[in-house]
Amino acid sequence: MIWWKPWFRRSAPDAKLDSELRFHIDALIDENIASGMSPQQARRQAMLEFGGHEQIKEQLRDVYRVRIMDASITNLKSAFRFIRKSPSFSLAVILTLALGIGANSAVFSAIDAILLQPLPFPNGDQLMAISQFQPKLSNPSSYVAPVRVEDWNRMNSTFQAITGYYVDDASETSGALPEKITWGLVAPRFVQVWGVAPALGRDFRPEEERYGGPSAVLISDRYWRRRFGADPTMVGKQLRIGGHSSQVVGVMPASFLFPIHDVDVWTPVLIGAPYTQSRNATWYRTVGRLKPGVSVAQAQADLATVQAQLGKAFPKSDGDLAVSIEPLKETTVSGVRKSLWILFGSVSLLLLIACTNIVALLLARSAQRQHEISVRFSLGASRGTLVTQFLTEAFVLALSGAALGLLVAWGAAHVFRALAANLPRVEEIHLDARIVAYAMACSVLVTLLCGLFPAIRGTRGGISGSLAQASRTQVSARNPLQWMLVGVQVALAVTLLAGAGLLLRSFQALGRVSPGFETNSILTMHISASWGETADMPRLMQRIALIVEALRSVPGVEAAATSAMLPGVSGQYQTETKILEGEQDPQHKVLAETRFTSPGYFETMKIPLLSGEACREDIKNPQIMVNRSFADTFLARDGAAGQHIQMLGNSFLPPGQIRGIVGDARESGINREPGPAVYWCFSAPMPDPYYLVRTTGDPMAMAQTLRSKIHEIEPGRSVFDISPLTDHLDDAFAENRMRTVLLAFFAVTAISLACVGLHGTLSYSVNVRKREVGLRLALGALRSQIVKQFLWQGIGVTLLGCLAGWILAIASGRLLSGMLYGVSPSDATTLAAVVALVLGVSVAASLLPAMRAARVEPMQVLREE
Amino acid sequence: MPIEKSDLLQGTLDMLILKIVALGPVHGYGISRRIRQISKEVLQVQQGSLYPALHRLEKRGWLAADWGESENGRQAKFYKLSAKGRKQLHSEESNWARLAQAVTHIMQTAE
Repeated sequence: MIWWKPWFRRSAPDAKLDSELRFHIDALIDENIASGMSPQQARRQAMLEFGGHEQIKEQLRDVYRVRIMDASITNLKSAFRFIRKSPSFSLAVILTLALGIGANSAVFSAIDAILLQPLPFPNGDQLMAISQFQPKLSNPSSYVAPVRVEDWNRMNSTFQAITGYYVDDASETSGALPEKITWGLVAPRFVQVWGVAPALGRDFRPEEERYGGPSAVLISDRYWRRRFGADPTMVGKQLRIGGHSSQVVGVMPASFLFPIHDVDVWTPVLIGAPYTQSRNATWYRTVGRLKPGVSVAQAQADLATVQAQLGKAFPKSDGDLAVSIEPLKETTVSGVRKSLWILFGSVSLLLLIACTNIVALLLARSAQRQHEISVRFSLGASRGTLVTQFLTEAFVLALSGAALGLLVAWGAAHVFRALAANLPRVEEIHLDARIVAYAMACSVLVTLLCGLFPAIRGTRGGISGSLAQASRTQVSARNPLQWMLVGVQVALAVTLLAGAGLLLRSFQALGRVSPGFETNSILTMHISASWGETADMPRLMQRIALIVEALRSVPGVEAAATSAMLPGVSGQYQTETKILEGEQDPQHKVLAETRFTSPGYFETMKIPLLSGEACREDIKNPQIMVNRSFADTFLARDGAAGQHIQMLGNSFLPPGQIRGIVGDARESGINREPGPAVYWCFSAPMPDPYYLVRTTGDPMAMAQTLRSKIHEIEPGRSVFDISPLTDHLDDAFAENRMRTVLLAFFAVTAISLACVGLHGTLSYSVNVRKREVGLRLALGALRSQIVKQFLWQGIGVTLLGCLAGWILAIASGRLLSGMLYGVSPSDATTLAAVVALVLGVSVAASLLPAMRAARVEPMQVLREE
Repeated sequence: MPIEKSDLLQGTLDMLILKIVALGPVHGYGISRRIRQISKEVLQVQQGSLYPALHRLEKRGWLAADWGESENGRQAKFYKLSAKGRKQLHSEESNWARLAQAVTHIMQTAE
């Protein structure tokens, strides 16, 4: 056990010690010689008198050993003794901290994985999402035409490479049964941009990326394991995708988390293929990798120049287009950033409440230990020693709390995944060394936050808090401070509750919204198809019509239709349209949400027909329905039907004729007011629209029947993504729900902690004042007066806390704006309800100790003295 | 009969050292000799107690130490009282006086 000793030795060079002792011995020898001894005798006598030279030296070394280790071990031992001695107190503290630190670490683990860590690609911060958009439309960033991606890649000077991808569903038919796979169609340079090499095999060769060359496919690790049992000889085998045979050239590594995670295979989109030539057919999600040292702004300017050149070269298709770039990470996570930080703020408040609670507990504790402290002082302990010891106790508690908290965080990571499966990068959340380090940092912070103040306060006054005084005769002077801490807890809890209340109310309000269609009893599904089918549009439309007809014919089905986008699920597709009849103010653009649906859509969704007649599908002369809002905004009320509308920009349809007006529906999100909308009676803007089936009973009960019906008429196609519309709508609010559920959970925990704090402090106060109460009762005070007095003490603090909390809640309500629906951030009803709730529970929490105070037996208490 | 350190009250040795050093810079050998002389050979401080005590006091900042030449021309470590040490000495002296008085009082009255 000696090995560590030298580490803690401060410089006390042995040579110096030696010469000091040597001087003494020499002096003794001289003295002895002077008294008449022979030199040998004098030396022997001196050595005898001096005692063990080495022993003394060792003692001297001991003086210089900094006893960090010894002292810490002693402190740790006494801390554990302290914990063992008061198990319920320690358990309360540890559990409180476990909850506080655990919840905090859990949210931090999400923030770390989602917001802080770079994307899981080499130099992930060089990856940029690039999109084209029309500055006059309010559409979100849009897809890019493949030929334009090639232009950008060729003409820019700031990117290493730009690539694009499109994800489609397909059937793989090399096995016994067709299997639905997710198919990534990727532009050249795909592997280069992501910077991830195949784990097995190789990247595409240039000839494989050219039209007419050999066809090649890369497969995902997941697909390789699922379908081929991780066959090591996979490279070189053939797959049949969408009717074409392709050779597997490589397997991507498991760590390759492509932005869309469930992709099974990737094939190159061939340069020079006819379907990549249109400048208007935009279907690539585009990603570029910046050259090292290039800033986003430089790249933005560079691409803007490139696009301006393209605008001159192709004024018709490119004249109106602009380019926007954004770090890919931003695109991925920006939607949840605010939610996550708000959650983090809430758990930090929670931890603060927990700390406040513990400070109050420790203060009460150190008041009880006044006697011990005085004894230690009088035995010569310094204040520093005592403060260190108390801090060690707090640290041991905090560390135990953090260890338990990590378990909580570990469990919470699972809850996160279950609660918010749609959260970007959610699969990257896991407990790692960073989170453990964070939890440890939390516990150190908590130690200082919780331990320092009570330790300093508790040891104040030294011995003067004299031994002679028995603590029970004093009324503790520390009460005001403890009450203030309770007030702070209540205020913070009110703030959190108010936030949770507002979110809950928004959620309720959303549930009460009438979307303009009926969402129940609708089953949605996809049927695999490939873009190649769009080459023969009439045939595609006929196939879709046959499927819809077959679905409708199944008993138990009321109606069936298709739609390019799901109704009520957030997603906007606004286009500029032109009304051909009458004069139009060129300053006043006609912008409308554009939907592509089959004729049966309105019947299926129960969107009422207000005037005119239902539309029919006719590719040559498209028919159109508009909603009431469109008619009111842009059309003369009388002559609406019969007018013609043309989509501007990337139009693949000739002008259509309005057949009727339907009711407004919240197509682009339940939380969005419906705006002007145009429905084109066209079921095939894409080969695989959503199929919507209205059933008479439970929609999921029909799934198998519908599936086999489709298998009858289309044996080569797979049916997938079968789920009720209500599930999609729920998913659309998954983040919202996660936020609400978590915040509500934190708020409930916060108010529980505050109640524990209130109860504890009041109980302590009752204990300390038992004698006073006994005396008053003996002098004739009524028990009800005693109850009232203590109850009011609790309620008074709560009221003050509520007032502070109210102010805090209003101040922080701004943070929630944008997340609320149908309720203002300073909604008085919510706040009043929160305050009423807090008052209610705090009365309950105060009542018990107050009653206990009233049950004091005067004679017993006074005799104890 | 000489009284050895172990018989001294806890902390008394420290006080004695401070008192001796207060007279002027002195080395360890000198301190031990003076205690013996002044107490008329009653108190005899073991080197095994003296040196750890000296170093402890130095570490606490009550004593300051310097190497210098001794009366016989050899290098020795001289201790002298610091301002902090002087204060400590005062408080120990008055404590000692009270203690001694109290003990004497008890011994006399209890007889």
